[in-house]
Amino acid sequence: MEGILFWVCGGLMVFGGLMMVVQRSAVVSAVWLIFAFISAAGIFALLSAPFLAVMQILVYAGAIMVLFLFVIMMLQGPVLEDDRKRLALPLWPAVAVPPLAVVVMIIGYVKRNGLTGMGGAVPEEFGSPVHVAELLLGKYLLAFELISIVLLVAIIGALALGKDERKLPWK
Amino acid sequence: MEITLTHYLLLAMTVFLTGMVGFIVRRNAIVMLMCVELMLSSVNIVFAAYSRFHANADGHVFVLMNFAVAAAEAAIGLAILVEIYRRRRTVNVDDLKALME
Repeated sequence: MEGILFWVCGGLMVFGGLMMVVQRSAVVSAVWLIFAFISAAGIFALLSAPFLAVMQILVYAGAIMVLFLFVIMMLQGPVLEDDRKRLALPLWPAVAVPPLAVVVMIIGYVKRNGLTGMGGAVPEEFGSPVHVAELLLGKYLLAFELISIVLLVAIIGALALGKDERKLPWK
Repeated sequence: MEITLTHYLLLAMTVFLTGMVGFIVRRNAIVMLMCVELMLSSVNIVFAAYSRFHANADGHVFVLMNFAVAAAEAAIGLAILVEIYRRRRTVNVDDLKALME
């Protein structure tokens, strides 16, 4: 059962990523990326991380991608036209090398016969909101507080970038 | 066939390289940012897979931090792109070579 779900979710995630790269329209790319992120939520659920699966859909597929779609729609006309130029010839090696590397590594792993296994069984509440919250508000409290400062700085930065320069408080 | 850590790592690698190729191929700065998001997401899968492998949820905390960093990156990146668009009327990276010349 886990095997089928892994191949379905993983396949759909890779497919969504590929379609995002291949599609010319930025809006269509963004929708395929949402598709890939929702498949990634399935992978998280398989890895007994239910809280992460929910957060992946809420934060990534929800908030971040809505922001992307909003900006694409705002700049729509020219953004959609520009991507129709042909790929420059010297770029082809750069594009071909990564997929070749994937093929070589997969063949290498298959030849080695040494799959790692998946560790033992995990407790029932592993990865639940309670379990993650205990870590987040206990052992990693400092990181939790610091990440809120990162977000605050990002908000201030986005505001400063978006605002008319002459009206900034330090001008 | 049993699904092992190796499967998850190979999946994450494939997704990461898809994002990397997209970053190289695409000329639209917004789509390039989306490729970066895809690469970040594949790293999250690695964190979650090792977390499960060692039955230790510390990796989940790192994934949550990664979510916050990705959100901050998207917000700042898109704000910069909107500002570039306002001045240059394009977000095609081939047309933005002020630093290259």
